[in-house]
Formats: sequence, structure tokens, C-alpha cells
Amino acid sequence: MASINPSEDQDQQSTEPRIVLPGDELPPTETGLVEDAATLAPTIKLGPGLQPMDDDTIAAVKAGVLKHASVGNRWWIESNQRRYVSVAGENVIGVVLGKTVEHYKLDIGTAQPALLGVLAFEGATKRNKPNHNVGDLLYCRISLANKDMEAELECFNPTTGKADGYGELKSGFVIKTSLGLARRLLDPKSLILRLLGKHIPFETAIGMNGKVWINSGSTKHTILICNAIRNSEYLNERECSTMVKSLVDKL
Amino acid sequence: MDTTTATTPMNLENSPAFTFTASTFQKLHPIEYFRKFVSQGVRPDGRLLNGFRPTTVHVGVITTANGSAMVRLGGTTVVCGIKAEVAEPKLDSPDQGYLVPNVDLSPMCSSAFRPGPPGEQAQVVSDAINRVLKESKVLDLKDLCIEEGKAVWTLWVDIVCVSYDGNIYDAALASVMAALANVRIRNPSYAGGIIKVAGGEAISDENSFRLKLNRTPLSSSFALFDTSLTLLADPNFAEESISQGQISITIDEHDELCAVSKIGAGSSSQALLRQCVDRARERSKELRAIMSAQ
Amino acid sequence: MSRPDRSRTSAHQLRPFFSSQNLLNRADGSAQFDFGGSSVMCSVVGPAEVRIRDEKLDRATIEVVARPLVGIPSIKEKAREQNIRETLEPLILSGLHPRTGIQIVVQTMKDDGCILSTAFNATIMALMDAGIPLKSILGSVTCMVDEKTNQIWLDPTTEELAQAKSAHVFVFDNKSSITSASAGAQGKDADVDMDQDTVGAAILFSDSTGLFTEEQYFECAQICFKAAQAIHGFIRTAIAKKLEKEYQQTHA
Repeated sequence: MASINPSEDQDQQSTEPRIVLPGDELPPTETGLVEDAATLAPTIKLGPGLQPMDDDTIAAVKAGVLKHASVGNRWWIESNQRRYVSVAGENVIGVVLGKTVEHYKLDIGTAQPALLGVLAFEGATKRNKPNHNVGDLLYCRISLANKDMEAELECFNPTTGKADGYGELKSGFVIKTSLGLARRLLDPKSLILRLLGKHIPFETAIGMNGKVWINSGSTKHTILICNAIRNSEYLNERECSTMVKSLVDKL
Repeated sequence: MDTTTATTPMNLENSPAFTFTASTFQKLHPIEYFRKFVSQGVRPDGRLLNGFRPTTVHVGVITTANGSAMVRLGGTTVVCGIKAEVAEPKLDSPDQGYLVPNVDLSPMCSSAFRPGPPGEQAQVVSDAINRVLKESKVLDLKDLCIEEGKAVWTLWVDIVCVSYDGNIYDAALASVMAALANVRIRNPSYAGGIIKVAGGEAISDENSFRLKLNRTPLSSSFALFDTSLTLLADPNFAEESISQGQISITIDEHDELCAVSKIGAGSSSQALLRQCVDRARERSKELRAIMSAQ
Repeated sequence: MSRPDRSRTSAHQLRPFFSSQNLLNRADGSAQFDFGGSSVMCSVVGPAEVRIRDEKLDRATIEVVARPLVGIPSIKEKAREQNIRETLEPLILSGLHPRTGIQIVVQTMKDDGCILSTAFNATIMALMDAGIPLKSILGSVTCMVDEKTNQIWLDPTTEELAQAKSAHVFVFDNKSSITSASAGAQGKDADVDMDQDTVGAAILFSDSTGLFTEEQYFECAQICFKAAQAIHGFIRTAIAKKLEKEYQQTHA
């Protein structure tokens, strides 16, 4: 059994990323689940990619980089995939597939279509509610996710009740990226978006489900931005700036 | 063994409010029901864990075929008929005949099968039998040659399941081997590009020949039940549907292995496989005795 | 001593193996795995919608489709489908995605023997690429016993298989491997070290045909287990390489 080397430093920033494969166990000495552990923590929080196994060990179920936050003794695996699995609280972009009396059915890339209540919009009442048609693009928040049920969506911020940017995305263009790339784009320091922003003004909405919406002044620019984002996934910083520069120069 | 004696799904003293009969329990929790038996070392049909079902073999059951056999393995019944036909050989093997096994699992034998083209299981069993016959060189295909490059025998080995109650591979392979040993083909004569196979008079040793079988591989299958990988010899249909995997050991009379397959379930230790090989050795001896008693 | 495949000097030597992930644009995960002149491409779609008829209430339905090099699928492919599906079913944590379907397509690209083993390795790489939750990974290796010399040859070519007395396919998971022998990223000539003796590695899948003795069978299992460890190590290196590329921006 190849287990994760326990001698490594805890601080993720300063060390090499720790790569785990499905079946690799999380050693109990590190998680603090045993008596004589260095960090005595009574509880452990498991994020994506880690599962308790039948034999009371905790093992990785996905290939990726093992991450740890000492606050709350949280452990998770950062991995990349294309298929979205809904998680409550995440922002996603969905396409309206159909409408019933109570719900809109939205394609958010999961196995089953997600449900968006017709009244789940800011200030919507039975009399006064927005109307959306098949094919419309909506930026929503997942309010309820359960592996046995369709995900439920809402188009308002539950703490304020305000729209806060949720709702229909008009005009523009949507591309599908991997979930890992979408997560990176959401980083305020995102390299590719910063590089593009230097040359072209545009607006974007990024769903955790890998759908990225782009809108700019002209179609030409929108296509350029979409291509640049897609190309950037496996490039390093220098390659990225060369790529963006060559695309912009061709305009 | 009477199944109603194993009534209690829970401890009666602790929870008298909720009890059901054994048959209800079996329907609601088939796996838990089975576990109760396995923990006592028996199975619901009264067999021990390594016990095979009563087996009978009849040969020559189809008079119009060149060779035939019927094998019953508990509730599983298969009939194998072998028909010899003259065919042209392939260019790259001008002196070799053909041996074509085909397993048919029709809706007649179990409601688990749908009508139409052969399902996955039928195809997989056909492939497994085909591989054992070819790779273990049961029959020299050159024996099926009539005239090199011109005519050879094709043996159509049709295996029809009449009643399905699990472990089709063991039953099918036994029926094929019994039927092959039963085959008689009339001596052909080749003259001027025409094959003549005499008919009419009763078949006898003078006007016909038998197949020379190099070995008789027989298989023994075991279902792997639960995460503990408990071995269940000769699983029936109910046991097959609740088990996670299967081990099949095919062995010939010279104690040589002809095929080993372990599929499904988690990783199993080599000791478990050795256990299967040992049990398969005993079982194939018993089965061989049954077959030769015919 | 020498074997028909002139590129290899030892009987217990694998052909150079190679893999790449994330090749197909439309699939959720894909991978290609090569063993010398044999190559298999695998694509994974899922967890996705599934036909109502195949839907399972408590877990995902796993469907495997095997495609031959040329022509239409025969019973050989059906058997391969069953082998792969039933081996992966206990490995995939299908309970995490109930009422969905996971479709795995296995396409032979080049055939020079050991297609089943190549397919197994390609499938596990594709499943990891798709992010399907797995209990462990696996590694598969084929070996054969030569008819004339009774020698055990690892990872035989089609030419070598033609003179096999018996052929054996084995699959091992990484739960039973204690050391992950690291073979270079290209898996160049991963000669398997035969000195150390490992006690009875647990077997995940085994398929043997031909004529062989019990001793030969377990000897083959042992040799294949050692080789499978090299495959495990290789998979780890391959994944690390891929992740490195993905994370170079965040760590820059």
C-alpha cells in the first residue's frame, strides 16, 4: 500500500504538491485521529476526493493534489475533471431546458437537469415573476444538492434576498472548460483574465460547473477571449503572455 | 433443510413487535437472509458451502444428432447436440475442420433472459467454451479433415439451456465433453470432387468413426459471497445474483489446468484460489465418475 | 534463452509502455495506453443520464463497450466487456452517484498481443482522468508459458502468443503492493527485479487458458504481480506529470 509520506512538511505553500492516487491512505498520525498524534484534533473535515473506507481508514478516491488547512483540520484533494457534480452554495451557469408550472429545468452539466423554482428570483411573486424561455442562460446558485435528487437552484442571494448579479445573462457567448480551469478563473489574481484585461474590455461570468460566459464590445473580441481562455489551461505564465500577445497582434 | 426453521431475522426476545416469516425476510433482505445461513456453514437449499448439486449425465438423448448429451446440475438442465456437416476448409488451414460451439439461453429456461439475439452471458459462455476447446487442444482439428484443401467436417456444437438455475458454464462444458465423446460420424468417401457419406444401414463401428479426444476438461465454479469472499461451490441462480464475483477452475483428467478465471469481487488471496483448485480436483473426479458410469 | 521478440533481452521484461490522458475533447475522461505495438484508447462519460431501464436506485450503472481494431464487435469483445465491467464494478464507488450512468468505451488502436491488459490499464487512467471516485487503482500484465522451453515470457507479442502453451492475464490493485517501484515516465525497459520474494499477492482478476500446472499458474501470478507494481509506479509518475502541467500557473 503506497501511503502518503508522513515526513513531509505540513505547509503546502513551501513544499512540492503532494500527489495522491485513488487508494492512497491518509495516515492517522497526520490527521490527528490517533492518541499520539502531533496535532491533537478531535474532529477532521473531509473535502472532495477523500472518503472513509470500510476498514476505518481515510483514503483518496481521486487522483490529485492533497491539500490541508489547519483551521478545522480540513483535508481535501484538488483534482480536475470535466463532469460537474453539484455542490450546495456553488455558483453555476445553466441553460433553460424546459418549464413546468413550478420549476424551470436547467442543464448545468450534471447527470440530471437541475430545478429552479419559478419564484426563486429577487422580489418574485405569484403575480409578478420573470419569464424565461427555453435556451436562456441563467447565472444561479445551488441551494440544495443531494446525490439522490436533482439539484435545486435559486437566482438570489439568500442572505440579502437581492439578485446580486444572479439571473439571465443576455447576449455574449458561453464556452465549456474543465472544472479546474473554471476554478482558476475565479481566482481574483487569475493570470489569463488579467492578461486579456490589459488589451480588451470585457465582462465574464464563471460557473463552477465549467461554463464560462464572455461578453465584449464585438464578436471578434469575444471569440478571441474564448480561445485565449481555452488555450491557457496547460500553459505557464510566460507561454500565456506570448499566446495572448500573438492573438491580440493578429486583430 | 426446512427453510421455515430459520424464521428469526432479529432476536425475538429483544424485539417482539416485529417479526416476519422466513420467506418474507428472504424477499426483503436476500443478502442478510443468506448471511444468516452462511454464518452457520450451510445454504438455504441444505447444501454445505463447498457442496455441488446432484448431477446426472445422459448421452445420446438426441437420435438425429451425431452426438448429444443432457446434463442436469440441480435445477440447471442443458442439452448439447453435435451435428457434423461437410464444409470447405480455410485457405490458411487446408487440413483443419471446424468446431463451433454456441450457447443458447432463451426465455424458455428463465425469465431473466429476453428473446432476440444472444445476450451477453450466452456470448461469454460460448466464448469461454470455445477457448477451452481450442487452447487446451481437446480435439485435433486435423482429425476432421476429409480431403486436404477440398473438404473437412464442421462440428456444430449447439448447447441449449432448458432450465436455468445458475452455473451454466460448468453444466455446458460437461455436456459438450459428454456429447463429443458420444459423436459418431459416418465414414465419408471422396472421389472426383464429390463427397459421399453413405446412409441407410444402421450405424456401426465399420461404417463410422468416433472422435479422438486428447483430454476431457471439466470445470468447477465458485461464487464469491460478501466482502469476506466466502466460497459457494456450484452457485444456483439466487446465489449468483447476490454474489460479487466468481472463480472457475477447469481441469482435465491428467491433473492439468485448462482454464482459470477469477472475475468480480475485490482482490482475493492466492490461498483462496488454491482452495478452489483443490476442491475442483475432487469435484472433477466425481463428475468424471458420473460421466463414465453412463 | 532468447525469445522471438528481438527487442527484449530478458523473458521477464515488459515492452516499453506509454500513456497519455485527456486526449478526447468531448468525453469526460480519456486515456491511451500502449504496450509496445499494442495500443488501446479508452473514453469515459459520466456520471451522466442513464436509460430508465438500466437505472439503479442506489448506485451508478456501469456500461462497458469494447470495439475491435477492425470490423464489427464479436463474442470476443463481449467477453472483454464483461471482464472489464465486472472487475471495475467493485473498484468504482458507484454509491456516490446513484441513478446515473458511467459509460466506458474501449477501442483497440493497434494489436500486438495483450489487448485485455492494455485495455485494463487504459481504462483505469481514463477513469482517473474523468474524476470517477475509485477505491484503488489497478495494473494489468499478461504472461505466457512457451510450448518448447516451458519458459515464462512476460508481455508477449502476437508472434510469441502463437507458440504459447498457456496464456495468463492478471490484474492487481495497489492495495496489495507494498512498494511502488518507480519506472521512468516512459517506462523504458522496466526490467522486473526477480530477487525479492513477495508472499501471495491478492489477485483482482485472472484469466488463464491453455494447459498448465498449478505451480506454473502461481509462478505466473508472482511474476505478473512484480510487473504490475512497475505499472502502478508508472501510473503515479504519469499522473504527477499531468498535474504538474495543470498547476504550473498556480505555483508560479
